[in-house]
Amino acid sequence: MFASHYLPTPPAAAGPPKGAILLLALLVALGSLRPAAAANEADVPRRPAALLRAVMCEDIQNFAPVNPAVVFPITIGKIFCFNIFDPVVQKTFIYHDWYCRDKLSKRVKLDLQTPRWSTYSSIQLREEDKGPWHVIITDPDGNIFHILRFSITD
Amino acid sequence: MKNLLFLLSGIRWQDIVDIILNSYILFRCYVILRGTNAFRVLIGIVLLWFCQRIALYAGLIVTSWAIQAITAVAAIIIIVVFRNEISNVLQAKTLKTLLWDVTHKTVDTPVEVLLETVYELSRTHTGALIVLPARDSLEEVVHAGIPWNGQMSKEMLLSIFWPDNPVHDGAVILQGSRVREVGAILPLSRNKDLPSCYGTRHRAGLGLTEHTDAMVIIVSEERGNVTVARKGHFVEIQRMEELADALHSHLGGAEGMARHPRRAKRELGIAALVSFLLVVGIWFTFSRGQESLVTLEVPVQYLNRSPGMEILSTSADKVRLNLTGADALIRNIRPEQVAVRINLANGQIGSNSFAITQDDIRLSPGIVIERVEPATITVVLDAMVQKEIPVQVDWVGTLPANLIMLSATVTPATVTVYGGSLMVKTIATVYTEPLTLDDIRESGSLTANLALTPPSLRLAADSRGHVKITYVVKRKTPQAAP
Repeated sequence: MFASHYLPTPPAAAGPPKGAILLLALLVALGSLRPAAAANEADVPRRPAALLRAVMCEDIQNFAPVNPAVVFPITIGKIFCFNIFDPVVQKTFIYHDWYCRDKLSKRVKLDLQTPRWSTYSSIQLREEDKGPWHVIITDPDGNIFHILRFSITD
Repeated sequence: MKNLLFLLSGIRWQDIVDIILNSYILFRCYVILRGTNAFRVLIGIVLLWFCQRIALYAGLIVTSWAIQAITAVAAIIIIVVFRNEISNVLQAKTLKTLLWDVTHKTVDTPVEVLLETVYELSRTHTGALIVLPARDSLEEVVHAGIPWNGQMSKEMLLSIFWPDNPVHDGAVILQGSRVREVGAILPLSRNKDLPSCYGTRHRAGLGLTEHTDAMVIIVSEERGNVTVARKGHFVEIQRMEELADALHSHLGGAEGMARHPRRAKRELGIAALVSFLLVVGIWFTFSRGQESLVTLEVPVQYLNRSPGMEILSTSADKVRLNLTGADALIRNIRPEQVAVRINLANGQIGSNSFAITQDDIRLSPGIVIERVEPATITVVLDAMVQKEIPVQVDWVGTLPANLIMLSATVTPATVTVYGGSLMVKTIATVYTEPLTLDDIRESGSLTANLALTPPSLRLAADSRGHVKITYVVKRKTPQAAP
């Protein structure tokens, strides 16, 4: 039902396309802004990693989330919690705590590598999983990076 | 002996007060009503009640039912039939007399004056009819009396019966030391066996005593004889001492008691003893009679909770009480009369165990608790705290397949809730009531009420019970083929 993966971002030495450089510049710029909710709920300075992006999505293709959303039909069978951390100062790990109606369903430990890292966890959906969910992304000390709220519906 | 000790062991001071108080009330009823017809009928009703109890105990259902019905009707009849008599008795008494005095009458008739008058009337062959009422009312049997209300004296009585006086043929009705009425017409006796020597005056005197407890002194005009009529019988008076005895006997009062102090005291003593024994018997019948057992399921009431605390949960809302007591008490007990009250004054935050004791259970006197199930109740108490909690939308239904909801922003994003700390601690999210996706075709906003669970959770004063949800939808991006 549950799965976790890490997606090392494509190395810069490989000669990234021009569009990719622009995207990276945009990400760096956005990195200073951070997701508003993440900044509000838990943002502790001087962490070994900084969360750049966190979304719930239907799939992950080419190291990118597909159809990020807050409502998912149970018919899609699987959902993902996708994160980008930038920068990652030192090797560390994070947790994805999946809650269904405030009840912990799964805790997933995900490693982070320097200097930036994308990672995700997923769950296989069952009929009884319908309802409001949230995923809490925390560092090893339990500090919250971000909380993602979404619903599994018919 | 062992049984007696068991019976006496459970007697409380309230029971002693109960018995003494009711014994005295019964004794006072005897003192006030003794000698009246109402009292005699009352004795009959009490005997009927005893018969009914015996019949019930023996299992004679129809007999018991019939006697019970007769007793109930008789109790009503006694009030209706003897209302005048009861009224006279009560009106004639002062508060002190009702509560304390034991003399037979409160107003004394001057016997000496009466004796001298009767002697003079007899000597002069002056016909006379003198009525001395007792407890019974004369209003319904005596007619045409002329109100007089004069102080009684020998001269006055002689002048009333003087042959030329227009009212001399009627009867004089005395009340204490006063002449209440003159010229009164008394009912004639229907006794056909009276000797021919008795004329109309004697028949009238006897007639009154057949209907009431009054005493009538009759002086014959022809022979000068003095006759006393009482309780439907004549007594010929040969000497004035006999008349004096008859008067003292009838009038009673302080003088009567003074003449027969030992007899009067013995009579009162017996009455007091009988009253006491009767009440003790009744008390034992009700409170220590045949033991019965009953099981009641009683709700538990929790009292004296500290301010700022609330009951989070209890191990039981009802307890089963096995009660024993006299059959009469057990049969009359109702669940609402019994209450189990747990005092939470010393309760602490968290789980508290309270053993249910006798002090926690309110029962009618005479009922004993045999068993309590459960014997201990666990009450979880909690302090009231506030907590700011994020709000999340509870989406239901189906979003059209070609749409995807990118975001749903809740305003306000958090609400402050108020509830028990243990309960609030476990709550991380407040959800909205379910919102359907079926009708969503484009971005927009909705207002939704909050669904607070558990119900004991409350919103703080500064939080509203509804939130605004602004959602963004867009057409789904087709996924690339793998």
